[in-house]
Amino acid sequence: MNGALYAAAGSDPAQLVEVAREFSPRIDVCGPREITLDLSGLSRLFGDARAIAGELRRTAADRGLQVRVAIAGSRTAARLLARHRAGITIVDDGDDAQGLAPLPLELLLAVRRAGSLDPADHDDADAGICAAFRRWGLRTLGEVAALPAADVAARLGQAGVQWQRLARGEDARPLVPSVPEERFEQALDLEWPIDGLEPLSFVLGRLMEPLSAHLERRDRGAAVLHVRLHLVSKAVHERSLELPAPMRDPRTLRTLVLLDLESHPPPAAIDRVVVAVDPTPARVLQYSLLTRPLPSPEQVSTLVARLNALMGEGRCGSPAVVDSWRPGAFSMAPFAPVEAPSGGGVGRVGGVGGVGRTLVESGESQPRVVVALRRFRFAVPARVLVEDGRPVRVTTERSGITGGCIDKAAGPWRTSGQWWAEPFGLGVAGKAGGAGRSEPDSPWDRDEWDVTVSDGATYRLFRERDANAWFIDGVLD
Amino acid sequence: MANVALAALESALRVKKLDRTLTTALPPLEQAEDACAPTGVGSVDACLRNGVPRGQLSELTGPRSAGCTTLLLQMLAAATQRGELVALVDTFDRLDVASMEAAGADLGRVLWIRGQAGGPLDWAIDRAFKALNLVLQAGGFGVVAIDLADVPARMLRGIPFTTWLRVQRAVEGRDTACVLVAPEPVARSAGGLTLTLTGHTSWTGSAMRPRVDGAEMRLRVVSPRRRVDGEVAVRSYEASAYVEAGL
Repeated sequence: MNGALYAAAGSDPAQLVEVAREFSPRIDVCGPREITLDLSGLSRLFGDARAIAGELRRTAADRGLQVRVAIAGSRTAARLLARHRAGITIVDDGDDAQGLAPLPLELLLAVRRAGSLDPADHDDADAGICAAFRRWGLRTLGEVAALPAADVAARLGQAGVQWQRLARGEDARPLVPSVPEERFEQALDLEWPIDGLEPLSFVLGRLMEPLSAHLERRDRGAAVLHVRLHLVSKAVHERSLELPAPMRDPRTLRTLVLLDLESHPPPAAIDRVVVAVDPTPARVLQYSLLTRPLPSPEQVSTLVARLNALMGEGRCGSPAVVDSWRPGAFSMAPFAPVEAPSGGGVGRVGGVGGVGRTLVESGESQPRVVVALRRFRFAVPARVLVEDGRPVRVTTERSGITGGCIDKAAGPWRTSGQWWAEPFGLGVAGKAGGAGRSEPDSPWDRDEWDVTVSDGATYRLFRERDANAWFIDGVLD
Repeated sequence: MANVALAALESALRVKKLDRTLTTALPPLEQAEDACAPTGVGSVDACLRNGVPRGQLSELTGPRSAGCTTLLLQMLAAATQRGELVALVDTFDRLDVASMEAAGADLGRVLWIRGQAGGPLDWAIDRAFKALNLVLQAGGFGVVAIDLADVPARMLRGIPFTTWLRVQRAVEGRDTACVLVAPEPVARSAGGLTLTLTGHTSWTGSAMRPRVDGAEMRLRVVSPRRRVDGEVAVRSYEASAYVEAGL
């Protein structure tokens, strides 16, 4: 036994849902004014179908809602009847087709449009089928239901058959109950204000446990973790952590919050703690027996949070190259490794017998070894003696970089860029610092040299052309 | 008669597994199929019998321009190409990202922990070791490296020996190869390798217009327990020379 509620225009959809939920947990919200619900088993509580419908209508009226109520064997029949007839309509089980027979054809079109997830997709097709039925002289659902199904399918395809099933009151799909929106939130009012992270960790642990259990019951994970700390100063200290992957392990969540609060501590003692999460479907993991497992996102998040707390924000992550000619340009990306696709073109060198093979199966005859540069993030100011346009001696005041006579020098290689932008600062040091890293939009114009000094070390020098100042950019190592 | 008695005694001790004492050299470690992390350089891997050992602390040592960074980046790149994660504790923020990419690393699999270039040295070293410990404790990385190449030798020698023991303990039994880059051998792990590099930059072109062609590296391998001692020469190329050579 299924029922349908069809509310008058202007009704509050939330109120309508509340009324339906008072009678059955299995409800399907078909639109802002329309709900179908499974009424099986209610007869033992309220009596026959008419009594149930009367109770539904009365309850709705108590909430200030005017509703039409229809009860039929199928949800489709109940919906159609509720839309067509005011008051209460009851159709006995098995009599759905008869009950729907006198209803006008256009009613089905309206229900189809209201029930479609994407009405735009179906509007044209449904209107075409409705027009075809009307051309055939059909006016009611009973006339459509009486057509031979094979002929309808031959002329209108599967869409026509679906129309005919609906006209007979047959449901197109089983009832999928609408789940009420749940809030994943825990709060705790403290008897005494707490100051410091250590006592807060116990409070967070107490809040995270039920929150994680709630997430687990619903097979959800936390996508974003919100922490609101109500302070004794009446201020609210809010932090939001965007997690790299859905997670619900209470210890991990607590650790992440604590590490974040270490970097951003509340300015006063805490009166009340509120933890809320934005839920998202939980992860589905498929491990492989053939590849080395990666650390879980919980482990990675915790590690990165600990490292950020230790080294400073933004000082750990994955390096990334940027589309720029600026020497030493780079950016940092969040460290979020993904599983390598299986069957890739990379093989493990196995045993001694495998030694000498290339790791990358790209057809190269030998592994690629490219000289690396150790780059000074802030270029080291240097004193360079130049003769005949070539550097012959380099010295610095930096301990550990002694410099000396230059045995060989290659250069100059001139690079410049961002000259069209507003010059950043005027100081030499500022431009040297901008020769890379801290000011990515500052202009640069320099001549680079590779020099080998007497102690055997090979440095990369550059001369800022504007300031005629020399710097050591790095060491070839 | 005495020899027979000695042999019987040794046999009995061997049965009871009491034949090893502090004064007896331990036998060489057996190498399993996956016990080493290949460096990605064929000749080096051949000498090392498949790379640096996992679960041990190994060292890359040498002066400036000897090729330590080149070999380290090759090692990290080879690990990422195998699908492993790698971590680099960059004590003084010296990594050139372009060089790492040129080595063929999958940068998305690299956890780069950048120290501060300025500031007191001991403070930077202390934080680097703490970061290294965190990474090793977390596990899941194929290769974890700490770059102490720019630490003065005097300060490096001042690091308590227990620090290296702690690092060794942290990595022991794990699937991680821990690599230390330093100007001179300091850790001297029994199970790990010490690769001492010497080398020089090679030049090409005329006397008036020379240019860097690459580097000639020589590796001397010292390993107390792995019997892979020896020397190997590696030729590396400067990035532009590599392209010109058509390699």
